[in-house]
Amino acid sequence: MLTDDAPRQGEETKALFFELAASRDPAVRDRLVTAHLGLAHQLARRYLNRGEPYEDLVQVASLAIVKSVDRFDPDRGIEFTTFATRTVIGELKRHFRDKGWAVRAPRRVQELYLELGRATETLSQQLGRSPTVSELAASTGATEEAVLEALEAGQGYRTSSIDATGRNEETIGSHIGGEDASLGTIEDRELLAPALAALAPREQLILQLRFAHGLTQSEIAARVGISQMHVSRLLAASLKRLRSSVAEAGSTQSGGQAQPAQPERQSTRPSGREGRAASSSRAARERDGEVGGAAAR
Amino acid sequence: MTERKTGTISVDLSIPVQADLVVLARLAAATLASRAGFGVEDIEDLRLAVEELCLSLVGSREHGRLHLSYECEGDAIEVACWYEDDHAVDSARLVRADDLSLRILDALVDEHGRGLRDGRAGAWLRKRRSDRVV
Repeated sequence: MLTDDAPRQGEETKALFFELAASRDPAVRDRLVTAHLGLAHQLARRYLNRGEPYEDLVQVASLAIVKSVDRFDPDRGIEFTTFATRTVIGELKRHFRDKGWAVRAPRRVQELYLELGRATETLSQQLGRSPTVSELAASTGATEEAVLEALEAGQGYRTSSIDATGRNEETIGSHIGGEDASLGTIEDRELLAPALAALAPREQLILQLRFAHGLTQSEIAARVGISQMHVSRLLAASLKRLRSSVAEAGSTQSGGQAQPAQPERQSTRPSGREGRAASSSRAARERDGEVGGAAAR
Repeated sequence: MTERKTGTISVDLSIPVQADLVVLARLAAATLASRAGFGVEDIEDLRLAVEELCLSLVGSREHGRLHLSYECEGDAIEVACWYEDDHAVDSARLVRADDLSLRILDALVDEHGRGLRDGRAGAWLRKRRSDRVV
C-alpha cells in the first residue's frame, strides 16, 4: 500500500531538502526533481483536452517542479508536494492564460479575453493586487457578465470527457516522495538516458539548461549565442525526438503495458488528510449536520 | 477597492453529470465570487476548485446528477456538492478522494472536506477573498 509509505517518503524528501540546503549539491537537486516529475505528469493530465498538447503541459509542469525544488524551504513546515502542487497549478494556469485557446469561442469573446489580459496586467500593477471583475469591466467597457464569459471561455476548460482526468492511471503516491517509490519516474529516466545520449551535444545542453536549471528560452539563447526562436525550435525538435525514442523504447520494454492500476489506498489515509477544519458558518453547520458527522476534516 | 454587494446569498443548482455542463457549476461560483468582490486570480482558483470538487465525486461516470449549493457571505464563498444516482453506487468509496484531488483543493481553497448525506457522497469547499498582493 503506497499510503503506508507516505510518511516515510515525506521524511526522506524532507531530509533531502535539508541536505540540499546545506550542500547545494546539484546531484541532490536533480534527485529531488526527478523524484517528483510524476507529480508534474499527474497535474498535466488534469488539464488535458483544453487545446494544449499533453507534452507541452508536462513541460510546463516539469519546469514548475524545478522551480518548486529551488524555492522550497523545508523549515516552513508544509509538505513539498503541497507547495509544488500550488506552483505547478499556478504555472499551468499562466500557460493557458498566455497560450491556450481550446474552446471555440466567438471572435468577440476572444478579443475581449485578450483585452482583459492586458487590462489585468495594467490594473494589477496599479492596484498591487488582482483586479476584480467589476474593475475589469469598467476598464474595458464590457459588462461584468461579458467579462465572466470571456474569462471562462479563455481558460479553455476541458469540454470533452470526464474520463480525461485519468482516474485509473497511476497514483500520486507512486511518484512522489522517495526515489525508491517512484517506479514510473525511474522507468522514465531509464528510457530517457539513451534517447538523450543520441542528441547532439548542443541539444543536450539546451535541454539541461531548460529543464534541470530552469532557464528561460531567452536566457538560454544568451548563453548559447543563438536566437530565442532558434532555442525554441531546437527544444521542440529535441523533445519530439525524445518522445519518439521513449515511446519506442517503452513499447519494446513493457510490451505496451500500461502503468500499474490505481490501488485501493485511501482507506488507510489519516482522517486529517481529507480536508481542513470546518468553519462555523450557517452553511458549515448545515453541512456538518447533514453529513451526520461523517464529513472528513 | 471595488464595490461589494453585501448580504448572504444562497444558490442551489442541480445538473446532470455531463462534462460540458460542469461549466454551469463553475460559472455560478464565479458569478457569486465576482459579486463578492473576489479578484480574478481568486475566481480562477475557485473555478478550478469547483471543477475538481465535481470531478472528484463523479469520476468517469456519465449518469446521475450533481446537486450544488452555494453560499456567499461576507468575504467567503462555500460550495457543497452531492452526487445522486439511481444506479448502484458505492458512495462510501466515492467519498474517498484521490490524493491528487486533495492536493489540488489544498492548493486552491482555504478549507474543504467530504462526507455522506443520506447515503450520498458529498464534498464541500470554502474560499475566502484574499486581496492578495500581486
